[in-house]
Amino acid sequence: MLELDRVSLPESSEALRVDARAFLQQHRDLIGEPNSDFTTGHSPEFSAALGARGWIGMTWPKSFGGSERTFFDRYVVTEELLAAGAPVSAHWIADRQSGSLLLKFGSEKQKQTYLPAITRGESYFSIGMSEPNTGSDLASVRTAAKKVDGGWVINGSKIWTTDAHRNHFLIALVRTSPAQGENRHVGLSQIIVDLRNDGAQVRPIRNMAGGEDFNEIVFQDVLVPEDRIVGEAGNGWKQVTSELSYERSGPERFLSAFRVLVEFVRLVGPNPLPHEAAVIGRAAGHLMTLRKMSASVAGMLNQGKQVDVEAALVKELGNNYEKLLPEMTRLALSSNRSGRAAWRSAFEQTQLLSPSFTLRGGTREILRGVIARGLGLR
Amino acid sequence: MSDNNMNEQLSIIIDTANRLFGDSVDKGLLDAAERGEFAQSLWASVVATGFHAVGSKDSGTGVVELFALLDVAGRHAAPLPLAETLLANAWVGLSEGVSSIGLWEGQRITDVPWGRSSTRVIGIRPDSAECVIVEQVEVIERSANLAGEPRDVVRVPEGASRHTIRLNHGNAWSQLALARAVQTAGALSTVLDIALQYAGEREQFGRSLSKFQAIQHSLAVQAAEVAAARRAATGAVDALDTPRAAAEIAAAKIRAGDAATMVGEAAHQVLGAIGYTHEHRLHHFTRRAWAWRDEFGNEFDWQRSLGAMIAGVGADHVWSFVTGR
Repeated sequence: MLELDRVSLPESSEALRVDARAFLQQHRDLIGEPNSDFTTGHSPEFSAALGARGWIGMTWPKSFGGSERTFFDRYVVTEELLAAGAPVSAHWIADRQSGSLLLKFGSEKQKQTYLPAITRGESYFSIGMSEPNTGSDLASVRTAAKKVDGGWVINGSKIWTTDAHRNHFLIALVRTSPAQGENRHVGLSQIIVDLRNDGAQVRPIRNMAGGEDFNEIVFQDVLVPEDRIVGEAGNGWKQVTSELSYERSGPERFLSAFRVLVEFVRLVGPNPLPHEAAVIGRAAGHLMTLRKMSASVAGMLNQGKQVDVEAALVKELGNNYEKLLPEMTRLALSSNRSGRAAWRSAFEQTQLLSPSFTLRGGTREILRGVIARGLGLR
Repeated sequence: MSDNNMNEQLSIIIDTANRLFGDSVDKGLLDAAERGEFAQSLWASVVATGFHAVGSKDSGTGVVELFALLDVAGRHAAPLPLAETLLANAWVGLSEGVSSIGLWEGQRITDVPWGRSSTRVIGIRPDSAECVIVEQVEVIERSANLAGEPRDVVRVPEGASRHTIRLNHGNAWSQLALARAVQTAGALSTVLDIALQYAGEREQFGRSLSKFQAIQHSLAVQAAEVAAARRAATGAVDALDTPRAAAEIAAAKIRAGDAATMVGEAAHQVLGAIGYTHEHRLHHFTRRAWAWRDEFGNEFDWQRSLGAMIAGVGADHVWSFVTGR
């Protein structure tokens, strides 16, 4: 059985919540229409303000621009940003994932080069994992980097790369040497691509919600300097799987639909009908539980523990919840009810984004496989 | 007491309870209990161990130990009104006998677990701190819940004593609801264990069920639901002495109920026809988890209660309500 630690957020982190709300209030002109989905709002100005406040790379060493805070502190700030619907997508991946990866596996020079700019909210990263023929089966990547004099030459393509058209860097998973028979996990490496200067071609892909935040990237003999390899050449598989657990347990895995709940509460008012109150209560009860589970994982991250299975549990439940919440509110409201405009806007945005909830960051099927492994079934 | 000593005491209670219930609660005892036979020797062991006093005044233990014991009782489907006895002892004074608690409806107390075997029955209401205490127990109707657990109707005699249950936060009804959420989390943990074990042992098409992806995914979802029910329950226990008690208990009862529905269904699917037999022990746990959804407020009751609290604070304070800050 899998059990999450019985930990609660420390008072020092709760104190930070007050500061986070004051910050959000102070910058409300940058928020615009709130949306709790972490991919939706893009504002370099907001990211820079957040960086100036010390809230990007919060857990990283001060020598690289971080604040040496705990994962509990980071949890509190991230959930406050999402609940307020702040535009966080510009720095999100760099903060959550790419920077943490560089901190763990990067060279001293890479850390000095990339991390301070990330913490200032000025440098944004994309993740280069999927390819046209590589989705969940990540080890099948075919994009290759070949060692030449003075660097690596990359050929191939990446797809579904969020914000590649406006981010600065991409960390791509590439093959640097052939698989050894059945063992496809060898010979993979992570390599940093400068999206603005290295000559990779970026083509936007429109999604069904009307957004153009994801892209296809084509590499045709793209030469990058030698020192762009992250960690050891050939160690990419281990690195990439460690990176994924940061990606899966955070509050962005259950807060995407939060604004729908807020607008539903506004619509039904202080004296809701019994079934309307029940929708609010069910949504809140699940949300309160997910927060506890996510905070438990933050506690494990503080202790330097492996969290891949626990993170998968949070994402599995959180994504299901994000899909259930809008649906519950929809069914509770008569379609001829007046005053639905604000709820409807939040609902429709979320409904259109919802297929991505159980795809991005590892599909539902992959996560269930991770949990099954944790249960000793595979 | 230092944290370490407290944790040690908690571990001892949990380990001892697991041994006690593990040794005594078997299929035969559960079948007998579901025929209405009180587990007298198990009860005697509980008293001999001092477990009946856990959480009561001057016992050196509190709600954390009390609810931890109920989790273990739930894991073993221990056929005693243990939650009712422990909470009654904590609220109105320690009794050596079996106590139970039901819904006070005027001259009757209904849905009394093991009323027929109790020497003291307390009648409570969802919205009141006032209770009635009956010490000359007369059962006027015998019934049972979906799990075959006795649920009796007890007469309230003229002049039965009234008492006010004073809790810092939450009320008597909500603590029973939390007890059911905790017991459910315990029972579902065993349901998952049974399903995992069966999937590992049973072979079809030349391999164990646990190697089929469809089964792996079902078990993964069950594990996630159990983990959620457990975390919601421990979170509510930890909030009992805070103003958050009512909201956290509501969340725990809602979450436990949703998990019971999902896990009960899916675990039976994994076990196939053997799990549907009376002979198999799975149903003792799934039927309890299903039955407990409806005791001391079902999901809808608690959803409405929590929802009304949030509607009351308004849309712009939903988040501060959820975070408790």
